[in-house]
Amino acid sequence: MSVKDLLKMSLSSLWRRKLRTILTVLGVVIGTASIVVMISLGLGLNKVSMEQIEQYGGLTTINVYSNDGGYGYYGGGVAVSVDGSDSDSDSQEPVRIDDAAIEQFKHMEHVEVASPILSTWVLLRQGVWESSASIRGMSHEALEKMDIDIKEGSLPEEGGELQFFYGNTVITDFYNSKTGQNPYYENYDYEHPENNTTADVDFMNTPMFVIFDTDAYYNSQYGGTDENGAPVPAPKKYMVPGCGLMAGSPEEWGENSNSILCDVEALKAQLKKVFKGKAIPGQPTNKSGKPYKEIYYNQAYIRVDDMDYVTDVQDQIRALGFQAESNVEWMNQVQEQSRSIQMALGGIGAVSFFVAAIGIANTMMMSIYERTKEIGVMKVLGCDMGAIRNMFLAEAGFIGLIGGAVGLLLSYGISSIINFVTKATYESGISYIPFYLVLLAMIFAVFMGMLAGLFPALRAMRLSALAAIRNE
Amino acid sequence: MVQEREPVIQVKNLYKIYRVGRNKVRALNGVDLEIYRGEFCSIVGTSGSGKSTMLNMLAGLEKPTKGEVIISGEHLERMNENQLVRFRREHVGFIFQSFNLLGTMNAKENVALPLTFRGVPKKVRMDKADKMLDLVGLRKHKTHKPNEMSGGQQQRVGVARALVVDPEIIFADEPTGNLDSNTSAEVMELMKKIVREQNQTLVMVTHDNHLASFADRIFHIIDGKIVKIEDNRKNREVVEA
Repeated sequence: MSVKDLLKMSLSSLWRRKLRTILTVLGVVIGTASIVVMISLGLGLNKVSMEQIEQYGGLTTINVYSNDGGYGYYGGGVAVSVDGSDSDSDSQEPVRIDDAAIEQFKHMEHVEVASPILSTWVLLRQGVWESSASIRGMSHEALEKMDIDIKEGSLPEEGGELQFFYGNTVITDFYNSKTGQNPYYENYDYEHPENNTTADVDFMNTPMFVIFDTDAYYNSQYGGTDENGAPVPAPKKYMVPGCGLMAGSPEEWGENSNSILCDVEALKAQLKKVFKGKAIPGQPTNKSGKPYKEIYYNQAYIRVDDMDYVTDVQDQIRALGFQAESNVEWMNQVQEQSRSIQMALGGIGAVSFFVAAIGIANTMMMSIYERTKEIGVMKVLGCDMGAIRNMFLAEAGFIGLIGGAVGLLLSYGISSIINFVTKATYESGISYIPFYLVLLAMIFAVFMGMLAGLFPALRAMRLSALAAIRNE
Repeated sequence: MVQEREPVIQVKNLYKIYRVGRNKVRALNGVDLEIYRGEFCSIVGTSGSGKSTMLNMLAGLEKPTKGEVIISGEHLERMNENQLVRFRREHVGFIFQSFNLLGTMNAKENVALPLTFRGVPKKVRMDKADKMLDLVGLRKHKTHKPNEMSGGQQQRVGVARALVVDPEIIFADEPTGNLDSNTSAEVMELMKKIVREQNQTLVMVTHDNHLASFADRIFHIIDGKIVKIEDNRKNREVVEA
């Protein structure tokens, strides 16, 4: 018996009992839709979290810190004392990030970019507008490879004079020094963020005055005195040209969007010039409180060529005594979480699919009772036992196929309704049906249909031809 | 004397014993017979004589308790169910008492059904079914469903379905049991005519002596034993048990 004839006979016997077929299919439709929608929610949640992780620096980035835990990223000059000897490690010289360490990182396998990060807090001024901002010196190579979208100008030049490249949300930190008001946050409009006003600062064409020695500045502002009791003179202001702007509106938060980037060598040279003979704030000091000759970095930025190797590289760096953090741990956590959510949601859907499968089995059983005689006649006329089994399996498979297809359409409908309703909270949609889920759902529906039909089909195959034709 | 001496069916010492509660019922109690190619044979007996069991054995629908059934040189008693199905598909045509046409198919599709099981392409099997329906005189009813036809017409479709595979043997189980006497006679004449024309072997089971007399040879069966074989062609009794 040819496959075509077999499928045709299966379809025609389904068609013969339309209402019953439709009801059975309906069960599969609901089962498929509930599984698919539930899983799509799990996948959507996962996608939302992954996008979030992507915004916070991607999955191939490792941030390295020195292990003295104290003089930190923000370098506010608050070095936690290392001479308190509550444990052995404290008495050891901390491992700090210097050029040699960066070289070491660079030569590790799978490391694509390794750059120092030297950050320092400065005060920016332009007219009445003032802002306390962190500037971040990185190697030219790293800046180029970070895939920064440039709106205007260019990335800071390598070497030479200090130049600033402004992130797109930096503007939101400027306040009016006379009134103390920040125009961005004062009038923040949640409903229409496009109406927000920002400080009237021109990064590109008007010079920006930068005060590096912020301690001295505040002391002089508020009448502080030095060790000798003399009033602190106002520190020198430096004019730093802007070289470029990052693309994006002030609302778009992302990696580096709130940073002012510059070339690390230029920043080092500038700091040495500004703090000639004095300790640079945020730099570590030796036990007698004197600064070291060399400028140490707060942090190192490392990018690995593939996210599979992030943990490896991280371990190597940790073995050297540094602290290393990446989003991989976060991501693993998120994925584990979303996997268990998916399991729970999928389980709920699976229950209704299971009920649908019982429905298929029931329908097929009924159909065999009704058609006992027909099966007997076919057997007497020489229809292969296998062909009879396959005919019933195909019927059950068709129920699964039709139910699965309609169920998927329904899923798309429900999914878009969910996404429409939750649009305010989840912009990119909380329910996400990828193509592979469609494919899997179809295969699953057909497979489950056939599985449910297997027992009835075997029963039909084993019917005694003689008993069947006698069944009047 | 019979013209052709080639036996197409050989039955040797055939027993079929059923257990009914504690009792053993001997449905067939040592049957021997030979049927030759091109013969029209009938097996006659009262209800419970074992005639239907006999037919079921010959068609491979039931397994004998003991003995041999050899059809076209093949031992049916040694075959498993799959082999029996294949055997029926390739060698046997079947006419039922209650027609057993599939209600969802029209006359032509019903006739073509056994060819479908053989994997014959649609066009070929429809052509053959068409010719067969012409042969049984149902030119005008080819696209009718079984419930749109009379009993006689339905049985003609049944005859066409049995003949379409060009079988070596046709079995008929009370083929006119559900028909009135006029229609019965018509169908019997039709079967006889076609068997003659196509030189086919037909084995018919019936309880009706009159219908049995259409056949070339008549086996009388009582209590699981063949008691008498009549040869109509010579019009004399050949064997008396």
